[in-house]
Amino acid sequence: MSEWFSSLRLRVRALFMRQKREQELQDEVAFHLSMREEQARASGALDARAQARRQFGSVAKIQDDVRDTWALAPRLASLVQDIRYGSRMIRRGPGFALLVVVILGLGVAVNTVMFSVVNAVVVRPLPFPQADRLVRVFHVPPPAQFPGATRFAVSPANYLDWNAQNSVFERMSIYADGNATLTGRGEEPQAVPQELVSADYFAVLGISPLTGRLFQRGDDKSGTDDNIVIRESLWRTRFGGDPAIVGRSIIVNARPRTVIGVVPNALAVGRVQMWSPLVLSPELRALRGIHDFAVVARLKPTVTVARAQAEMDTISKRLERQYPVDNTGWGAIVLPMHDEIVGDARFALLVLLGAVGFVMLIASANLANLLLAKTVGRSKEIAVRAALGASRRRVVQQILCETVLLGLMSGAVGLLVAQLSLNTIVTYITGTIPRTSEITLDSRVMLFTLGVSLVAGMIAGLAPAWRLTRPNIQGTLNQGLTRTATGAHDRRLRNALVVSEVALALVLLAGAGLLIRTVGSLRAVDPGFDQHNVLAAVIALPQPKYPKPEDRVRFSRQVVERLRSLPGVEAASAIDSLPMTGGSTQPVEIEGGPAQVMSKQPEVAVRRVMPGYLRTAGMRLIAGRDFTEADTATSQPVVVVSEAMARQFWPNDNPVGKRLTLTFRPGVVREVVGVVSDVKLRGLDFADPVSALYTPFAQSQIGLISLVVRTSVPPKTVTSSVGAAIHEIDRDLPLLGVRTLDEVVGASMAQQRFAMELLAAFAGLALLLAAIGIYSVLSWTVRQRVREIGIRRALGAPTQDVIRMVVIEGLKPALLGVALGLVSALALGRLMTALVFGVSPHDVATLSSVSVILTMCAVTATLVPAYRATRVDPVIALRDEP
Amino acid sequence: MLTIPKVIMGNEAETPADLLQGTLELLILKTLASGEKHGYEIAEWIHVASAEALSVEEGALYPALHRLELRGLLVADWDISANNRRAKYYRLTPSGRKRLKETRESWRRTSVAINRVLEAT
Repeated sequence: MSEWFSSLRLRVRALFMRQKREQELQDEVAFHLSMREEQARASGALDARAQARRQFGSVAKIQDDVRDTWALAPRLASLVQDIRYGSRMIRRGPGFALLVVVILGLGVAVNTVMFSVVNAVVVRPLPFPQADRLVRVFHVPPPAQFPGATRFAVSPANYLDWNAQNSVFERMSIYADGNATLTGRGEEPQAVPQELVSADYFAVLGISPLTGRLFQRGDDKSGTDDNIVIRESLWRTRFGGDPAIVGRSIIVNARPRTVIGVVPNALAVGRVQMWSPLVLSPELRALRGIHDFAVVARLKPTVTVARAQAEMDTISKRLERQYPVDNTGWGAIVLPMHDEIVGDARFALLVLLGAVGFVMLIASANLANLLLAKTVGRSKEIAVRAALGASRRRVVQQILCETVLLGLMSGAVGLLVAQLSLNTIVTYITGTIPRTSEITLDSRVMLFTLGVSLVAGMIAGLAPAWRLTRPNIQGTLNQGLTRTATGAHDRRLRNALVVSEVALALVLLAGAGLLIRTVGSLRAVDPGFDQHNVLAAVIALPQPKYPKPEDRVRFSRQVVERLRSLPGVEAASAIDSLPMTGGSTQPVEIEGGPAQVMSKQPEVAVRRVMPGYLRTAGMRLIAGRDFTEADTATSQPVVVVSEAMARQFWPNDNPVGKRLTLTFRPGVVREVVGVVSDVKLRGLDFADPVSALYTPFAQSQIGLISLVVRTSVPPKTVTSSVGAAIHEIDRDLPLLGVRTLDEVVGASMAQQRFAMELLAAFAGLALLLAAIGIYSVLSWTVRQRVREIGIRRALGAPTQDVIRMVVIEGLKPALLGVALGLVSALALGRLMTALVFGVSPHDVATLSSVSVILTMCAVTATLVPAYRATRVDPVIALRDEP
Repeated sequence: MLTIPKVIMGNEAETPADLLQGTLELLILKTLASGEKHGYEIAEWIHVASAEALSVEEGALYPALHRLELRGLLVADWDISANNRRAKYYRLTPSGRKRLKETRESWRRTSVAINRVLEAT
């Protein structure tokens, strides 16, 4: 042990006396050499000095070995030396280093951004304590009535039974989405997304307040429900961070409420800004057949999701037997909250992360190629070092040091670019991808970036390192001083790099192509209405101000009339929920059909509309009539049905004149007066038409109102006059959202478009990098073969022959890459099934067109080198070569 | 590395490096037991003392010397050599002497053991 310590002491001292040590070592070796020389001379040798040298062996290697022994950690010392050497090489060629850092840096930046998104959305747990114990519980509806639906909103009575009968959840909470309107003090009315939550909500999530308190047991009793909780962001923006916010009274939905606490931004998922107590009135508590609520729960510490699921299955079976009318066929599903929130985005994000990984590989291969060209120029130097006894490990280490150093520099640049562009990207994907507010460059992202940079540097360095430790030292040394000839062996390595670049680029292009086709086929889907030139504004009428249905209908009629008189407006009307934004689904009983319990009754989409909606939305009336102002609360209740509904219930009959009842409004027998074209209510990628039924506002309960305006001018230009028209009638009414129907339709395919745009961008980048790769390899080949080309030209080879030779030379690896890429794309195609629509993942047209694009790109990349080959002057080429 | 006639050790490339390194260090310690020497003298001394059966390569000698020095088994000083030149002289430290004694013992035991094995029938 003491020996180890004294050794350490001496080693540390050696570090500080480096120069002196170095000098002493030189002297010591010189002395030894001179002694040998004397001895040789004494024994009569003529070339005493040379003989001494020969006997001594490699001076450099011995000095290296000795130096190793001094070092604190011998390996490290040589590493430090190599890093110094590497940085010197980089400084000597700053242009080259810049090129590399730009190419790799961009790759690293793209990877960093993509990973930071994946990290925040997919990898990181939700921002709640022990978030892995949080689950959401849904109903599973009977498949006969709700084909394809696996998650369904929960009915209050069932929730109460789940809560009372389960032994797996620590706590459960029921809640519903809603909209709140903030008014008062002459400020602009503001609509904020809110949640109505049961008292246990915050306890389930484990949120503690920034200030004040959150809901507790008893806060959701009728009469004590004036308290509200707001989010930090609302507190800061609307209330200027008022330090006396707790206890402050504010007007929400035309009713004074008291703020009792503030939830920190970081602990809220989604856009919700405000929480009100959900008061379960006796009527609501008894409601079992109406499914309108969400449920979140916290598992007990040792309970798994599977066990909770098993217990919920048992409870559901029991409830089915107990309440057959409402519950037959209704099950329950327990989903980890994280999975439920991240949902579909997870897969698209992972595909995109894979895609940027490909881009990085291509960039590294390119860098390897560039370095290969550069280091081959240095092979003489390396050969000399090897001849002087530098070990192979050492040579490899030295090259890797240089490339890893370049990789790290690119990493730094990439991180910087990522940081600068992150905000833009977060804005771009917000709304398409959940949890975007949580995206940051945290330590895990940094670590990832470091890893990517290191690996990229290593990959880039391996090819040149491998190449340089292969050559026959003697062969290289014997070659002329001005040129380094490299053989077929070298070309194979470079071509292999090109093949892999092209193959990777093709896979990316194929993916992008499939998504472009997907978005194309989604665009080509007829939504069943004409979405162009329509502006939609969503409003919610506060209950206290518009308590009776008549008030609401009167308001809607007034607004629509005013809207119709606006300049540029061709038609105006209203619907409760715009297509593709959700809406009501209800059981229906057809007159003359079989009498069934509610849970067995067929379900149809129900939309409430104002007269003129069908025309304003550009739907086709197929039979009968639209609603008119004559359809009032006191006239015969009427409905218009969709074609799909007509086919479903009256396949061989004229539906007009038939009668039906909506189970939720028993006793009201409604008559079918018209049939209208099918609308893609759920989204463009749902193939089956939805059976839908429309009722007039005047004969319905209405909550949300979506005003729709068909314009003869660009729809956005009437936004402010639409807002003004609404505020002329009620100046405290905020607009929940003003969008064109084009945007509404666009939003329904946002995820595919988002994936398509990013993948197309990555594929473009890959294409560019692959082209650079082909170009640089070919340029190099032409330079290598200058003499051969010169001879051919001297012997009278026509220009086209030279061009053809070079182009074919370049195309060979490119075509091989295309072939390999096609095979990989076919193999990976299955992965894309979940993302594509209206196109097979093995679509021949897509695959062949991307092959053509890539081949064209390869041909283009060969043109400049080919042109250069035709400029070779035979005389110079022949004279140049030794 | 110690070059040992192939007759004795078989193929040179197959000789275990550790054994040789340790052995070389033992020989250096032994050589210096009789007084301080510079590198060249050490190499010569081993050559002569082994009746020219062993010759020490400089490539192994100097790293070994520096290693021993760093481990505090040797100290070195610059002095004037017999032919009036500056040379680096190594000598044993007390712990070097101790180490020589220990290593020598263990070498002796090992070689006796090996010989027994070789002569066993």
